[in-house]
Amino acid sequence: MRAPKLVFFALLLMVTVVLAQSQQPPAKQTGVLRLRVRVKADDSAPLRGLARKRFFLIPGTIEQNRTLIDAIERQTLTSRDCYYQKIGASPALIDWLRAGDCESVYCRGVEPDFVSGPKAVPEFSTAFVASQKEFGNDETARQWLTTNLTPDVRDGFYRARQTVLQTLLKQGGPVVHSVMTDRNGTAYFTDLGPGTYVLSNLIPTELGQTFVTWNCEVQVKPGDLATEKPYLVSNRKDRNVKCVGVEKPKPVCATD
Amino acid sequence: MTRIKTLSAVFILLLICVHPRLSAADYSKFSHATPKHQAACNTCHKVPTKNATAYPDIKDYPDHDACVSCHRPQFFKGARPPICSVCHSKTSPRDEVRYAFRNPTSKLQFTTEFPHDRHQDVIAMLRFSHAQQSYNNCTICHASRTTTFKASPTNHSSCFNCHWKAQQPVATDCKGCHKLATPYVHITEPTRISIKYLHEGGGEKKQHVAECTTCHINITKAASLRGLKPDVPITACTECHNKDGLRQDLNKELVALDKNRNFTCVYCHAPNVGNLDPPASHYLIAERPPLKRKDIK
Repeated sequence: MRAPKLVFFALLLMVTVVLAQSQQPPAKQTGVLRLRVRVKADDSAPLRGLARKRFFLIPGTIEQNRTLIDAIERQTLTSRDCYYQKIGASPALIDWLRAGDCESVYCRGVEPDFVSGPKAVPEFSTAFVASQKEFGNDETARQWLTTNLTPDVRDGFYRARQTVLQTLLKQGGPVVHSVMTDRNGTAYFTDLGPGTYVLSNLIPTELGQTFVTWNCEVQVKPGDLATEKPYLVSNRKDRNVKCVGVEKPKPVCATD
Repeated sequence: MTRIKTLSAVFILLLICVHPRLSAADYSKFSHATPKHQAACNTCHKVPTKNATAYPDIKDYPDHDACVSCHRPQFFKGARPPICSVCHSKTSPRDEVRYAFRNPTSKLQFTTEFPHDRHQDVIAMLRFSHAQQSYNNCTICHASRTTTFKASPTNHSSCFNCHWKAQQPVATDCKGCHKLATPYVHITEPTRISIKYLHEGGGEKKQHVAECTTCHINITKAASLRGLKPDVPITACTECHNKDGLRQDLNKELVALDKNRNFTCVYCHAPNVGNLDPPASHYLIAERPPLKRKDIK
């Protein structure tokens, strides 16, 4: 009596497994978008790769993302120089940040030259003295001096940008992809489902005396590979450029 | 009736053995998962510890106060209280020697959260170096360990220099980075598919020395370490190693495989990988339809 029951249950189990396997969705074929961003700060400057800038890929067409794109285009941003002038930063700090195209002090190492001597940044010198007292040795004091800077000096500008960015990202939906360009201005969006996307930098990029915004529609086909042909993005028109940025002059810093 | 009693006794004994709450606690093992061990981290761990000399760090176990406040009976139980062996390599009142902190032979109880994407955004240039400025900032945490592998951070030196007291999560906020997990053995050796690749290699010109994100293309979008792989696509290799007029390393091995289905791909791989079917991506680069070894005559 037991044997037929066992056989019945074994058969039932096999059928269930086979059915479950047959209902598994086929492997999703995804694509890759190789981004190449080449810019000119002004007409006399050579084209160069735009390094260390974040780009976003938002699912849908430009029309489907119209509200978001309008919000991107409407935003009035303060430039880095204006932000630091407003909080009373020293010209030396503003120059130091500008030299590295930095949004915060974490962006580059603080070399001894910028702590003391003719190139010294006053904010760094003050923080260094506080760090010496706290950590007891000069090397740690220099390498850890950012821990003794005021929050606004340290990364206030970066945080302000992040607040704007997070607000915009909420409008873009949960599946926004993002990557950052390398030193040559190259970046890869991987694991992309086939379809239409909007490529955007969401927050205008400071380039010389202008802000540049990119909002372009991109098609991703299944099986697209990160091979030879990149998706070329620039602020200058060219036959190979697929996405040309819109440039606006940077606003003049408000004087209080 | 006697049988029922015996069975009940066996059942209760089994329950006591199997159920950790009913059995006697093993005080030689410390678990952060124990509910009473889940108070604020600084209840026990002091930041920094006294033995941190080069820079402020947490490099030692909590003081005795942290344990004695609850475990006084276990502390003074016998000549060699098992509880001492959690931190001390010898359980003797005359020997204070402790294991290295943390004990490398014990399982890890916490995972570490590290959003690469956010850090890539704020750190742009190589720090602590007088060399030519570079955007290759990965070396802040991933120094060379061997020519094949890069190292992962094993202490807080590359964290606390920014996250010491002002930038969140700060040094005293352990939970900001460390999340309680099921104890696990830390794997120090990453899985490598192309074991022959050398980060410092690439011939006399050392052409492999590039910006890390040139090949590790997914790092800048990684918001956590979960499931993070240093996924290098084949195209990162074939840009040089399978290019007309330059090298044909992939094509050569695929042709050799056409002639002999038992051929082992050795240019990049060790035999454990080189004896498998080449993935479709390899054939795609070679502009050929994919083949399985069993289908090769």
